[in-house]
Amino acid sequence: MKSRIALGVVIAAAALSPLLLDPRGYWIRVLAITLLFAAMAQAWNIVGGLANQISLGHAAFFGIGAYTSTVLLIKFGISPWLGMFAGGVLGALAAFIIAIPTMRLQGHYFALATLAFGEVMRVIANVWTSLTGGPGGLSVPFAAPGFWDYSFKLLRPHAYIALAALVIVTAIFEGIRRSAMGYRLRAIRQNPAAAEVIGVDTTRVKLQAAVISGALMAMLGTLYAQVAVFFDPDTVFGIAGISIRVALIAIIGGVGTAAGPILGAFFIIPLEEIMNDLLSSRAAGLSQLVFGVILIAVILWRPRGFITVFDSLRARRSRTVTP
Amino acid sequence: MSFVQAILDGLLIGGVYAVISIGLTLVYGVMGIVNFAQAEFLTIGMFVAWFAWAFLGLDPVLAAPLSFAVAFAIGWVVQGQLIARVLSAPSVAQIFLTVGILIVIENGSLLLFGSQFRSVTTSYQTESLSLGPLFISVPYLIAFAMSLACGIALWWFMRASWFGRAMRATAQNPAAARLMGIDTALMYKMAFALGVGLTAFGGAVILPYVTVFPGVGGQYVVLMFTVVVLGGLGSVAGAVVGGLAVGVIQSLSSLFFPIQLQNLVLFVVFILVLAVRPQGLVGAIR
Amino acid sequence: MSRKNSVGTMRMNRRAMLSGTAALLAAPYVIPAARAEAPAVNVGVIMPLSGPNAQFGINSRNGLELAADEINAAGGIAELGGARINLVVADATSTPTTAGNVAQRLITQADITAVLGAFASSLTLAISEVTERRDIPLLTMSFADQITGRGYKNIFQVVAKASVIGKAQFDYTAAIARGAGSKIDKIAIMYEDTAYGTAQANGLRAGAKAANVEIVMDDAYPLGITDTTPLVNKLRGSGAQAVFPVSYLNDSLLIIRTMRQQKLTIPAIGGAAGYVIPDFEKALGEFSENVLSIDTSNYDLAPELTERFRKRFGYFMVHEALEHAVCLEVLVQAIKKAKSAKAEEVASALRGARFTGGWINGMTGGAVQFDASGLNVLSVPLMVQWRGKDIVTVWPKEIAKSAAVWRT
Repeated sequence: MKSRIALGVVIAAAALSPLLLDPRGYWIRVLAITLLFAAMAQAWNIVGGLANQISLGHAAFFGIGAYTSTVLLIKFGISPWLGMFAGGVLGALAAFIIAIPTMRLQGHYFALATLAFGEVMRVIANVWTSLTGGPGGLSVPFAAPGFWDYSFKLLRPHAYIALAALVIVTAIFEGIRRSAMGYRLRAIRQNPAAAEVIGVDTTRVKLQAAVISGALMAMLGTLYAQVAVFFDPDTVFGIAGISIRVALIAIIGGVGTAAGPILGAFFIIPLEEIMNDLLSSRAAGLSQLVFGVILIAVILWRPRGFITVFDSLRARRSRTVTP
Repeated sequence: MSFVQAILDGLLIGGVYAVISIGLTLVYGVMGIVNFAQAEFLTIGMFVAWFAWAFLGLDPVLAAPLSFAVAFAIGWVVQGQLIARVLSAPSVAQIFLTVGILIVIENGSLLLFGSQFRSVTTSYQTESLSLGPLFISVPYLIAFAMSLACGIALWWFMRASWFGRAMRATAQNPAAARLMGIDTALMYKMAFALGVGLTAFGGAVILPYVTVFPGVGGQYVVLMFTVVVLGGLGSVAGAVVGGLAVGVIQSLSSLFFPIQLQNLVLFVVFILVLAVRPQGLVGAIR
Repeated sequence: MSRKNSVGTMRMNRRAMLSGTAALLAAPYVIPAARAEAPAVNVGVIMPLSGPNAQFGINSRNGLELAADEINAAGGIAELGGARINLVVADATSTPTTAGNVAQRLITQADITAVLGAFASSLTLAISEVTERRDIPLLTMSFADQITGRGYKNIFQVVAKASVIGKAQFDYTAAIARGAGSKIDKIAIMYEDTAYGTAQANGLRAGAKAANVEIVMDDAYPLGITDTTPLVNKLRGSGAQAVFPVSYLNDSLLIIRTMRQQKLTIPAIGGAAGYVIPDFEKALGEFSENVLSIDTSNYDLAPELTERFRKRFGYFMVHEALEHAVCLEVLVQAIKKAKSAKAEEVASALRGARFTGGWINGMTGGAVQFDASGLNVLSVPLMVQWRGKDIVTVWPKEIAKSAAVWRT
């Protein structure tokens, strides 16, 4: 019961916070980006947390989504909302294509393969200039403000859309986790051989997780395109900026849990912004350096993520209770 | 003729790729950790060599052992203080610890040295030898020769010295090695420090034809991984084969495809190898 | 100290009050600066101050500081009560999306009248997305065609566009070669792959096509390229008689060095940027001698203006410094015309207008005239050549300071 109330409070706070911030200001933008990255990390979490496949190439799907909806908008005038679903389909397809040869790979090998796949997409986007605008990037065309055109003069609607996206992706995550599919994924995670023996089609289940994750990630790419209004291959297909960052957010927060990506995003993104704000004028690189130091410190302190802080608190509280 | 020229250039560069990447495979082979910060030690090696050139007038090739030593020292401390603490943590934490180290080194370099591109001017930089219709770029040749010397030294070290054999034992079976009286913690430090030292050595050696700036290491990351995966993660001999292969593939692909696609071919090869033969062409120690 | 003669204290106080009041009344006549200060005009300056283009960003900032200091020393903007120019400088870094974020941050944190930046076309494009949506004028010397090609109302470019510059790069070269009795039939184009290189390459292609010259090599290369050997290999094999590289600094050095290494002596005609800053000569020494490059302006056309830069900063006034000084000059004149520092009003004063005088005298065309898209239609490219540590204007003949040297 207590956790339900806590959840309710958190949701209410989240729903109200965009209203408290200056709509033309800087922090509403940070909030929108934070919520978006939390949703992205949650999408990654489906593969990284539930299926225990550490993907370092999720930017591939993200970029596919961003480019699909924007190219459809530029070339055919299709609304980004529809373009988002088209991107989702392509993202799912891409996930399917990359998952087939790599699902059997373990740990590091899988991470490296996905890394390479992300880079492949980036190079393709850089070279296929007629479609993607190449390294020069794409600008989302100016449109008169309107909901169906996904164009807003202020940032508040973007924050709300990102919030809605986060809620939806988290719901899907939880839905999978509690379902039969989640049960099978857990079995695979703990002992793949045993899972096969009891009849779990490991390849199919992992493929399903990958496809869902890829589709969601791609759809979030559209959200990014609409709030950033300009992007290039290095940004949306970037290893450091997207792939590693979303994995990092989920991991720092607590991989495999629903709250993990949210905690991680609300820690990392505002921290980065504050660092940049305070320190980047002093010396280039200082803010990122401090961020790196904090990252190392956090990993050394809590290798399993922030979420374990709650576990240890809970353990301390219930120490008198026999398990 | 440009075909043969491309293969020649590819082999020369490939030798250097091998030396740069051996460190990565050594670290994985002995400790089981994929060190994402490995390429940053390339940057460190290049900067050390550049400063040796700027202030001491040392040719980068002569400064290479200095780069090795500096990186070795830094690696020793990094392993002991940071990496050793996550050896038993989930591999995910290990990966991201090294990512944190990457961020620290890259931005530390940016803060310390500034963002401008620095290059050296050496007497042989614009020289080339003629072998019939072929050109052998002298900087490439010297880099290759140094890499070869380094490779031979490493081979001798791993085979003949006690440390080398102890490291290989640790890689094969840490528990058994401990029973044999080998201090595995020390071996891990050795392996890591040696590994990053080698990468730094490679950096110094390529300075005559590559410009250094804080982000230069980042450009070699995927390339290094391709080398070690092609050869087999953990196999030193594999890194050599992988390095040469990658050099040639890259060089040839620049003939047939636009320069921008040079790395695309490499990545596709990378994914295919992982999909079809993850243990690489030569196979791993473990 | 506390036990003072009460009468004495009162007298002290009254004396203090009287002298204080007298001072206050006298002050405006004695200390002119004590007059109420007009609020400063905040001008955002977003340049790459880190990353591969840092040197260009620093040069640009230096040019702006020189211009701003001179304006402030002369009493600021009279029409606004002597308001001083306050340059609010931010690092665009080298990634377009960061530049966009920096622009967002800058605009929300200070009351900005206009933004000047960001040298590299890719960065300027990203920043323009922000400034256009916030109705803040952006003045720039970046010249990729896209900058003025999107129908944006708040962008103002003081130089010709890339395709025009690229075409001039080819046409002028052909004219110089003809003058030396050489004929070019085969050329090579290589360019860095961001907005700048791509747009200028289009111009080069158009020029070559119009002259029926064969393009035997046409390659884009990634901006951060670290080894140009494969590129130059291809060049050598292509049989080109002249090569037109469009590069920033690092790639320009690599290309020239590698060409020398492979004993390739065909003329290289640079595309501005890396080929026309002091660092080029510093790094290449004798190999920089007689290298030609297209440029959008040059300091030797107005030494009475540009030598001030050399005196203060110790190197010749590179074109980005001069052109940014021109941007500030144009902005200040627009502010004077609008008698306001409000972004929208200044933008209206800029649109479609003509400006002359001050730093603008250093531009080809002698004046700045913006058309409906924000492009300065009077700017004409020129060809420069390295002579020792200086670059000299050699084409068109009417403005050349020296005859071009063509060596094969």
